[in-house]
Amino acid sequence: MQAASLNLLSKHLVGMVTPTSRPLLLLHIFIFPFQAEMILLEMQDPNTGVRSQPQRLVITTIPHAITGEDIVTWLADRLQIDVQEARSFGSMLVALGYIYPLQDHKRLVIKPDTSLYRFQTPYFWPTQQWPVEDTDYAIYLAKRNIRKKGLLELYEQEQYNRLHKWMNHKWDFIVMQAKEQYRAAKERKKPDRVVFDCQERAYWVVHRPPPGTVSAMDYGLDRRTDPNADETQTSDYYERIMIFTQQAIMRPRVKSSVSIGALVKHCATYIGHDPFLSACLPSNPWLTDDTTYWNLNMSNVETPTKMRVERWTFSFKELLSDPRGRDDFRLFLKKEFSGENLAFWEGCEDLKWGTAATMKEKAEQIYKTFLARGAPRWINIDGKTMEVTMKGLKHPHRYVLDAAQTHIYMLMKKDSYGRYLKSPVFKDTVKKAIRPEEHKFNDAQLEQNARNRRPSLSPIILRQQEQELRAKMAANAPVDITQLCRFTTPVPHFSVYSGIIDPPSSNTSPSLPFLPHTPICPSPISVALDSTSASERRLEASEGEGEQNTEARVPDRGNVSKSRVALSLRRLLKRGCSPSAMFASLSPKCHTAAATSSRIQPITPDEPSQAPPRRTGNFFQIKVDIPPECRIYPIESEDEEEENRLASEEVVGTEEIICPWESLTQQNGTG
Amino acid sequence: MSQSRECVYLLVAPPSRSVVACYRHLAACVGGSMDSLQLRDELRQMRQKAQNLATALCHHLTGHLRDKSLPEEQRKEMELLWVAFSSSLELLHVDICKVLKISSNFSLANSASLVQTGVQGGGSEVAARALSLPDLNQTQARILPPSLETEEHSTMEREIAQIDHMIDDMEMKVNVLRWTVEPHGPQYADPLSSTDSASLALVSVVEEQPGPRLQPLCQRSHVFVLLLLFAVILVAVTLSVCVSLFS
Repeated sequence: MQAASLNLLSKHLVGMVTPTSRPLLLLHIFIFPFQAEMILLEMQDPNTGVRSQPQRLVITTIPHAITGEDIVTWLADRLQIDVQEARSFGSMLVALGYIYPLQDHKRLVIKPDTSLYRFQTPYFWPTQQWPVEDTDYAIYLAKRNIRKKGLLELYEQEQYNRLHKWMNHKWDFIVMQAKEQYRAAKERKKPDRVVFDCQERAYWVVHRPPPGTVSAMDYGLDRRTDPNADETQTSDYYERIMIFTQQAIMRPRVKSSVSIGALVKHCATYIGHDPFLSACLPSNPWLTDDTTYWNLNMSNVETPTKMRVERWTFSFKELLSDPRGRDDFRLFLKKEFSGENLAFWEGCEDLKWGTAATMKEKAEQIYKTFLARGAPRWINIDGKTMEVTMKGLKHPHRYVLDAAQTHIYMLMKKDSYGRYLKSPVFKDTVKKAIRPEEHKFNDAQLEQNARNRRPSLSPIILRQQEQELRAKMAANAPVDITQLCRFTTPVPHFSVYSGIIDPPSSNTSPSLPFLPHTPICPSPISVALDSTSASERRLEASEGEGEQNTEARVPDRGNVSKSRVALSLRRLLKRGCSPSAMFASLSPKCHTAAATSSRIQPITPDEPSQAPPRRTGNFFQIKVDIPPECRIYPIESEDEEEENRLASEEVVGTEEIICPWESLTQQNGTG
Repeated sequence: MSQSRECVYLLVAPPSRSVVACYRHLAACVGGSMDSLQLRDELRQMRQKAQNLATALCHHLTGHLRDKSLPEEQRKEMELLWVAFSSSLELLHVDICKVLKISSNFSLANSASLVQTGVQGGGSEVAARALSLPDLNQTQARILPPSLETEEHSTMEREIAQIDHMIDDMEMKVNVLRWTVEPHGPQYADPLSSTDSASLALVSVVEEQPGPRLQPLCQRSHVFVLLLLFAVILVAVTLSVCVSLFS
């Protein structure tokens, strides 16, 4: 009966054991020991077990040594498995510490040749009940130190020092105990002493492995409860089962054909990009210690690799999550004059992941830049979402812009992404993408690489670089066409979201509001300036305004220049003169541009009821600042009277931009 | 009071240390090929001795440490001893538990199931050292009646419980702050002066790869033997020459 149960167990074991690498070995730790012990007892049986032979040493012979090939053949025979599997099973036994090698004691594998092994004594068998104590290890190291007269190995020396530090109070005891054990060992016969030393050494190689070796004893973190222990069946236990099953019933289910199909598709798409499953070009840095791969794939690299670019075509998420891809996409959107979508999305991400202290002001900034009526970079979301967002903004929290962000994300994904993949920007990137050659290192070169390993840049430095880059990008941003307001000067502190604004130097020359813009502005404006002679008139007009505005200055406002510019532009518009004509002439060009992009401004050019000159300004959106004393209005509601009123109000006093949650009355006051 | 302290130091502490050390050596043999009735018997005797020593030491130390009038350095000495004693008690506890478990799994009745560990001799000398007896009575190997085994188990369990209780007691009665205890001794144990060179050589041979290393060693021993022979021959030749000269 015992034989039958053993057979059953062995079949069970065979099912468990697979001839693969070590990670699977660790799975079997918790269920394995008892069954391993049974097999081991069979193995060591003098009649039916593995053939044992004496080990010849210089002075004496020690019995009960077994060869690796004998072990493997016996296991293959007994468990009815093939040689490869028997080998891995044997290696598992050695790695766990049931058998120890006599030569090459640090490598815990079965070598299927004449190398010798021996069974470990039951005292040193690995079991879960008795944790491996550091005190014992300290005593062992002290004994070893005595024997080797101070010549411990490096890792042993380190461990010794560490234990000396942590178990300082016991140190006398440990040293005394080590001496006592040493002396007691000397009482034994020589072969027995050798055997005992080998046993103890093997035990500690298993439980305190030398650095760089894989230990079979790694089982992860200690858990509060033992998963193998039987749980008492209290009412709490049953209640938990009930809750679990109820939730399992309520869970939404997907047909397995669908989910499996998705898994298969995912695997098929990504298999070429998985460094475990296919070659990593040029070479996997973790294997060859050569960091070319990482250098080629940094986030600010000029030419990305072909694999990376291919990844961008998989999904929009991939494109956005790769910083280089996001840059490329941003470039494309800039060409299409719809960069505010991405800017808004990034702003929302910033809000979600930022610190709680800055959340409120970030939300305000985003509102002012993107959501408010007449905002410089107005995004196009539907009314319902806008309503929900506005309501949420009264009590802003981290996820208040989630609905709007999702809407914009879907917009970009369904619309811009497809066009991006067909665009010349992307095609250019694909053409320029590099495909690095695969490295073929021989052993000597690998060793040299390992020797030349250097630590990479610290993350603090990387973050600083990132911030600098962002600030730089913010500093020389191209003009993002938004609604034309009276205000034209850009604001540096919006750079966080758009990443691009005009250089602040424009503030210094308020009398020429447009000229500094011309080099940076997209071509329509410069074309306009060239084509019409209105530019001179405009200039002189603004210059005239500049002088006039000095009286209207409010002395203690920091952004006086902006107000001046604002006034001048307003005068311009009031005159309904050449700038608007210029704009009107350009409208067909811009119309096409605007039509192709999905970020149509709220005021479409087709509204007939309003005066055209005002409204053609919609096609041009020059990123502007919103002077704090003005309200934000969409252009359509502008009136001569309003302008006058505002002009007077500007002189009188200033108010901050009204955000909806700050005060409701004033927002709609002049709307 | 210092006398009793001396007594504790000299008489009680070293034997208890050696008992613990030797118990560990013998415990490593349990379940192996040399596990025998004798071994179990020796273990039992050592356990008894350990218990006696432990109780004596425990009483001494507890008594002294609870005495408030103890001067400072004496208190420190006592605390050192205390820490050492409690650690050795814990070691003993673990060892006895292990022996219990192993002996319950490896019954002596079924001698084929004892693991062939390569140990040949018994632990008699070690036990003799522990029990500080000149020699042990060699008990004949006899069949162990199963009732005796269970009796032994229950005795062991009782002893384990006793030691447990002692440890708890010690912790309850005296509060020794372990982080204040400073050891006297050096970090590294001095290599013992009386080293057995032959055994060291043997063990060092085992440490290295015996395969490749055996060759030079054999060669060296061969050369040594040859030299010896040569020297002997030389001496013999000179002696014969002298004899022939003088005769």
